[in-house]
Amino acid sequence: MLDQIVKAYNEAVFETDKEAAFDVVNAALADGMTAEEIVFKVVIPAVEEMMSNITKDPDANLAQHFMTAQIAAEVTEKMLVKFEYPPEIIGRVVIGTAHGDLHSLGKRIVMGCLKALMVEVTDLGVNVPAEKFVEAALAQDAQVIAVSAMMVHTATGDNGARKVRQILQERGLESRFRLVVGGAPYRFDNELYKTVGADGWAPDGVNAGRMIVNMIKEVKAS
Amino acid sequence: MTPLEILVAAVNGTPAPRIPVFCNLFDHGPRELGMSQQDYYANGENVAAGQLKMRARYGQDNVWSLFYVGKEAELLGCEGILFAEDGPPNVADFVIRSYDDVAKLEVPDDITTHPAWAETAKCLKILKDEVGSTHPICAYLTASTTLPALLMGMDKWMELLLTGPTDVRDELLKKCSVFYQKEAAAYRAAGANVLIYSNPFGSTSFVGMKRFKEFSMPWMQRDLAPGGVGNIVYYCGMAPFNNVIQQVMDELKIGVHYISPLADLAEAKAIIGNKGLTCGVIDDIKMIGWTPEQTRAEVRRMCEIGMVGQHFLFGNGVMPLGVPEANIQAMINAAFEYGKYAGVSS
Repeated sequence: MLDQIVKAYNEAVFETDKEAAFDVVNAALADGMTAEEIVFKVVIPAVEEMMSNITKDPDANLAQHFMTAQIAAEVTEKMLVKFEYPPEIIGRVVIGTAHGDLHSLGKRIVMGCLKALMVEVTDLGVNVPAEKFVEAALAQDAQVIAVSAMMVHTATGDNGARKVRQILQERGLESRFRLVVGGAPYRFDNELYKTVGADGWAPDGVNAGRMIVNMIKEVKAS
Repeated sequence: MTPLEILVAAVNGTPAPRIPVFCNLFDHGPRELGMSQQDYYANGENVAAGQLKMRARYGQDNVWSLFYVGKEAELLGCEGILFAEDGPPNVADFVIRSYDDVAKLEVPDDITTHPAWAETAKCLKILKDEVGSTHPICAYLTASTTLPALLMGMDKWMELLLTGPTDVRDELLKKCSVFYQKEAAAYRAAGANVLIYSNPFGSTSFVGMKRFKEFSMPWMQRDLAPGGVGNIVYYCGMAPFNNVIQQVMDELKIGVHYISPLADLAEAKAIIGNKGLTCGVIDDIKMIGWTPEQTRAEVRRMCEIGMVGQHFLFGNGVMPLGVPEANIQAMINAAFEYGKYAGVSS
């Protein structure tokens, strides 16, 4: 039965059909599946499946990324209130768009995936000063600082990720946090993330979730 | 031959001494005139002067009437633009904050009487008077399926498009399509002779093939029907679109395609062939870190691919301010050098 549920849910997500995805979840609950099973055996594997599909499928697109994240986040949110015990959080991330940048789509996709992957996310919003990223990361005891930038000047300028790195250096905080970046400019030059002092980047919001989870594990292991 | 004649020859495949060489420079204008962005963009005379000075400095074939992309949102009521000194201005005030605002959105009856058009008109008049008979004057127009992103933000538009009420979505798109039609007519009448039709949603990088066929294509047909596709350049905001070029040529009859640097230029050229114009676009984000020699090598590579069988134009994306001036000059010089056709005199 689980295989059928997973297959039906994955198909709904792939077709960006939110209603169908919720129908699958509601039917599974009615059949006696627990909320924990739905999140850990259906939703999280589906996000991981989508990460893999996006890499392989030439027709994978932004609409799919967006809906994968939205469906996963909404299903997870609805299931969490039904959990018998609060779930174990993998880690914490603070995320926002770089100073001067008002584009929020990429951040929203990443946040949706992270929530489904049991990562606690603090959304700092758009046009975020570098100091605020660091202060929030300290306040939240986060492992990862994620800076989204859709324009070249906000991705590479002195007030974005580059400044976050500078503050981390100046305050001796580099071993405590990983700095990751994402957004269109990094897709056009895959080495660009290094020039702004980031530890990693991902080509899309869904795969950013996986990269950030790996970074959290690295920080926790160090 | 004038640059305009060279462009026409490239489209038609008739003899010309070289390929057209476009260089899109927007954010460099304020620096060229030694002004802040806010002051520069406040007056269309500045934008025209900036474009003409940069054309004189670098020698490219084209000039632009575009101030910044958010200008279209201003024509629809946006009152807040976030200016930066190191990059393009952003829309900071979304006209549509809730679905109720869609009904309130008003497309001006005559956009040429709107205060936000006045400076654009001033700019276009100067460009037309100075170089209109000899050089391509480019205008930037956002397609109906992409314009909502400027009015409500990309994530809210994605949400409405994919999960929102279809009646609200369609009402918004109808208004955006009418706006496009009026804007295209206004730009043509004011002297723009190259219209960049910008539509990331016309690429399967944004929506899947099914949605491209059933959603994007009909709205593009609607946008383009009244004014036709003369002087139109198909552009998807730097997203690759090779897999839809044939459909765009067959169904929209657009022959000029501004290819993404992330796409295979040879593949695009093979699809378009002699039926239109392949615009090879250099990755000008990489140019930030390249040397002039690396820039020249890339221009040469692209010309070698694109010039076979003519019907080729060389261009760039939006040329970030971080690109060294020497690389911009190297790019343009190399395009003139490697873009020569043997045996045709100027």
